[in-house]
Amino acid sequence: MTQAASARRAEALGSRLPPLLVAAERVAATVAQGVHGRRRVGQGDSFWQFRPFVDGDSAARIDWRQSARSDRHFIRETEWEAAQTVALWRDGGPSMHWRSRHATTEKCERAELLLLALASLLLRGGERVRLMTPGARSVAGRGLDRLAEQLGEMADGDGMPGETALPRHARVVLIGDMLAPLEQIRATIGRLAAIPVSGHMVQVLDPAEALLPYSGRVRFEGVGGGLSALIPRVEGVRDAYAKRLAEQQAGLAAICAAAGFGFSVHRTDHPPEAALLALYTALAPQAGRR
Amino acid sequence: MIFASPWLLLALAGLPLLWWLLRVTPPSPRQESFPAVRLLLGLHANAETPARTPWWLLALRMAAAALVIVGLARPVLDAGTALPGAGPVLLVIDDGWAAAPDWAARMRAAGGVIDRAERDGRTVALLTTAPGMLGDAPLAGPASPPAELRPRLAALRPKPWNSDRKAAASALTGWHGAVAYIADGLTDGAAWDGFATAMAGAGPVIELRDAVAPARLMAPPRAEADRLVARVIQAPRASAEAAAVLAQAGDGRTLARVVAAFPPGATSAEAPIRLPPELRNRLARLAIEGAASAGAVALLDERWRRRPAGLLAGDAVTADAPLTGELFYLRRALDPSAELRTGDLASLLSRELSVLVLADHVVADGPEHDAIASWVAKGGLLIRFAGPRTAEHPDSLLPVKLLAGDRRLGGAMSWSQPASLAPFPPGGPFAGLDVPPDVKVTRQVLAEPGAHLAAATWARLTDGTPLVTQASRGAGRVVLFHVTANADWSDLALSGLFVDMLRRMVDLSVGVAGADAPDGPPLAPVETMDGFGQMGAPPAGAGPVTARALATEAASPRHPPGFYGPESGRRVLNLATNLPKLEPSPAIAGGTVEALGGVTPERALAPWLLAAALALLAMDLLLSLRLRGLLRPAAASRALMLASMLASMLASGPTHAAPPANPGLATHLAYVVTGDAQVDGVSRAGLAGLSEYVNRRTATALAEPAGVAPGQDDLSFYPLLYWPISPSAAPPSGAAIAAMNDYMAHGGIIVIDTRDGGSGAGFAPGTEDALEQFGRGLAVPTLAALTPAHVLARAFYLLPEFPGRYAGDTVWVQRDEDRTNDSVSPVIIGGHDWAAAWAVDGQGNNPYATIPGGARQRTLAYRFGVNLVMYALTGNYKGDQVHVPALLERLGQ
Repeated sequence: MTQAASARRAEALGSRLPPLLVAAERVAATVAQGVHGRRRVGQGDSFWQFRPFVDGDSAARIDWRQSARSDRHFIRETEWEAAQTVALWRDGGPSMHWRSRHATTEKCERAELLLLALASLLLRGGERVRLMTPGARSVAGRGLDRLAEQLGEMADGDGMPGETALPRHARVVLIGDMLAPLEQIRATIGRLAAIPVSGHMVQVLDPAEALLPYSGRVRFEGVGGGLSALIPRVEGVRDAYAKRLAEQQAGLAAICAAAGFGFSVHRTDHPPEAALLALYTALAPQAGRR
Repeated sequence: MIFASPWLLLALAGLPLLWWLLRVTPPSPRQESFPAVRLLLGLHANAETPARTPWWLLALRMAAAALVIVGLARPVLDAGTALPGAGPVLLVIDDGWAAAPDWAARMRAAGGVIDRAERDGRTVALLTTAPGMLGDAPLAGPASPPAELRPRLAALRPKPWNSDRKAAASALTGWHGAVAYIADGLTDGAAWDGFATAMAGAGPVIELRDAVAPARLMAPPRAEADRLVARVIQAPRASAEAAAVLAQAGDGRTLARVVAAFPPGATSAEAPIRLPPELRNRLARLAIEGAASAGAVALLDERWRRRPAGLLAGDAVTADAPLTGELFYLRRALDPSAELRTGDLASLLSRELSVLVLADHVVADGPEHDAIASWVAKGGLLIRFAGPRTAEHPDSLLPVKLLAGDRRLGGAMSWSQPASLAPFPPGGPFAGLDVPPDVKVTRQVLAEPGAHLAAATWARLTDGTPLVTQASRGAGRVVLFHVTANADWSDLALSGLFVDMLRRMVDLSVGVAGADAPDGPPLAPVETMDGFGQMGAPPAGAGPVTARALATEAASPRHPPGFYGPESGRRVLNLATNLPKLEPSPAIAGGTVEALGGVTPERALAPWLLAAALALLAMDLLLSLRLRGLLRPAAASRALMLASMLASMLASGPTHAAPPANPGLATHLAYVVTGDAQVDGVSRAGLAGLSEYVNRRTATALAEPAGVAPGQDDLSFYPLLYWPISPSAAPPSGAAIAAMNDYMAHGGIIVIDTRDGGSGAGFAPGTEDALEQFGRGLAVPTLAALTPAHVLARAFYLLPEFPGRYAGDTVWVQRDEDRTNDSVSPVIIGGHDWAAAWAVDGQGNNPYATIPGGARQRTLAYRFGVNLVMYALTGNYKGDQVHVPALLERLGQ
């Protein structure tokens, strides 16, 4: 699927939900609506005020129409608009490029779909969206296609987001299979929380990973790694595996809760709308926080 | 059952080791890639894993291994006992005529001997006891490996002459070693003792023979009065047996079958063959039923057929006068059954003669009497008719003494009435002939009564006086009719009985042979028999033989049994004529005897065992895949389906297209299933190719062609019926003909293809006759040649000619003037083998080259096919096209 087609599909998916608005958590630095005038002069599209030209102003900023009405020169100033920035990240590691025969899509494909659908919703709500990669430009308005292009160029990474300069109090959405050791994830989340940012984590799992539907004598080979495990009788270890997976998920939830992150699990054989709804509820303004 | 390599069976001892190895080796795991493998590390099953191979899989593998070992040990079923001695083996085969009836069994026995020698690693030399086709004496070949001997054995054929025991004995003297002798069970003459001694002296002997010699000899038949007596000769047997003799005509048809019964111990049996003379004259050979051997066939030549009859009348002037002359009646009566000759006595007797008829001819004493008497004594049949002269001057060449003068019955001066004929006594030559009541005898000559008169009388009148008397004279016979040969004395000559009686007389006579002059020209062999009694061209070694030598010559490579001499004087040399007496040969002294028929060919089991092992291993592979989870049910079912499809494809083989279950659902072209697989295949491929072409070029949608059997399948659904004529096919039944007539009468079109027209003349010999035979009941209308002006030439394409695979022949259709069936011809007859031109094989190629060839001929053939289909579907619709110029002209005015 080309990135443009992927974006279109995501947009179609996103259009089925109302525009999602991100609630600001910090009173000082956030706004309640998608487009938030800062009541100050600054970068923005809306007119704020005219002020007399003073030395040092660039001649290019003179509003000639206003200046022609009098003898003085005026400069047009716009209001400083600040939108919430949401940084999105999906795991592109080798383990994500895998699907069992019980699923129809690879995990990475589903993660990208979720990411773009969410971006579509956010953009419709007027938020700024960027990818969580070094040097990524944030997009706004109708920039979904550009975002999709950037997503196509996004490095596959190795399981966790790298060091990225994020604005403070931005929101972060992390989508991946989160099968890395908990310590590694805790370090990453801690680094993010120290910026400080908060957000949501979605664990995308293949149904085979969730249920271990194998039987007999099987040698499991890790994807992209040298790990392998010979299980003489898979039926016998299914419960133990389920327990380990539950432990992993519990650990993730704990890490996320500690850092103010939300956490949800999505399986690729489930409809993506369910995951989007989970993200929606997680990112939606919570009652009473307006 | 024995094992050719028994030491290999020791490997069976290794099976337990294999069992243990298999048990400790778990099945190899299935590979799965799995991202969450980290979570699986170090997990232990909470249940014991059956890491060991299941016992039934183990058993399967053990069975496969055991089969391989046993198969490699080369077990042989039904193996005969080992050959005696060591070193090279001499295989002596009797290949004279007596070996032919059960030749296949002998060859199997010989193959068995070679099998045994091969197993023991011994070389084999071959000695056949009959002289070769070129007269070469029996000679033992060099000892060679058995494999090299097999082709020579396969090329071996029985010879149509006797074994040469003497030469075989001398060939045996140089041999020292084991001998395997496949005997025909006959001594074949006096040289047997020397042969048996030489064989016994050569080394250990194993003799394969039947308890009694199966060979029977068909002796040349003996001609008797109204029959041919077939004589079958055999070596004496303990039980009563019977042999059926077939009397066959020259074209191979059997005219009669008689059974000769042998009492126990008998060496010959006879069976009379009674045939009407017309059939009897067509007899060409007598053959013992079921025995394919040169000895079981007796060829018949002219001696058993020709019956020249000489006619001589007392008064040569009036004898030929119509309705009054004697010879006038005799000619008409004898013509069907004999070859008639006339002339004076000297010229008649100068040539061979079976019957001499003297009509009221008084034989003068002296040379004439002597000539006739000596001729009769040598086997001639003299038939005399009485008359005024004979009554006056009875001569000595009469069967009975006659009273002087004749006797009148009835008439104005007599009290008595004309006498009728009494019924013929049974046992006489006239037995069974009906006596018409209206035959009256008014005058006759009377025999002198005597003690022998009754025995000499073959027919008499109701008053008991003899009408026909006879007497044997030497090898011949004299018969006297006591009436004239014309209607003067009786009505006999006017009735059909006269013809029958004379025919019986002629049948009594002995056939004549050509003159066996000692210095006659040698007769070249024309057609000779092979060892199986089949006629064929004479072999290279055959040479001419004089007629006189034929009587004494025994069949030999120089003179094989068969026909000799020119067409007019064909003579036969029969194998049985000068053969030594059939005597059963005793077993070779000191040899072991095996039954010939009991030898079943040995069968090597190794290939079957190895194949079974392979099958088991294939099953094991599938099971292992299944155990490892690599074989999913869907894949398994697909594989099974594929296998069953392959199996069904192999099982079904080439078959003709069955008529569709519901032929009314689509338009099908149809062809008549002839039963000749090749012809049907061509028809099917041809119509399929044509259907495809028609579908591509026109709006017609033809479905697969259908093969139909007229009379069984309903023809009414098919617009066109293609009928290739095959001489090997069974002629259509009456029901089939009726169905086809009905089909044609109701608008169907039959295309009859003789496949031998124009450039293809001679490619399908016999189809003309077959068409004549097959189409006899077909209601074919008056035909005319198909011209380019015919609708068929314009139905779709404008065709100048109508080629198929061949070109240049005329195609016939119903005459244009015939308005029945809407002027649509119900039958199209040609010989261009159109189906072969239309045929398309699986790769889309045309498998049959056109003759004379060229892409244009192929195209025209297809176009003709399209026109045919259009013609069949639209009838005379395109007939108007013919009138287009006229219509245009009319419109223009």
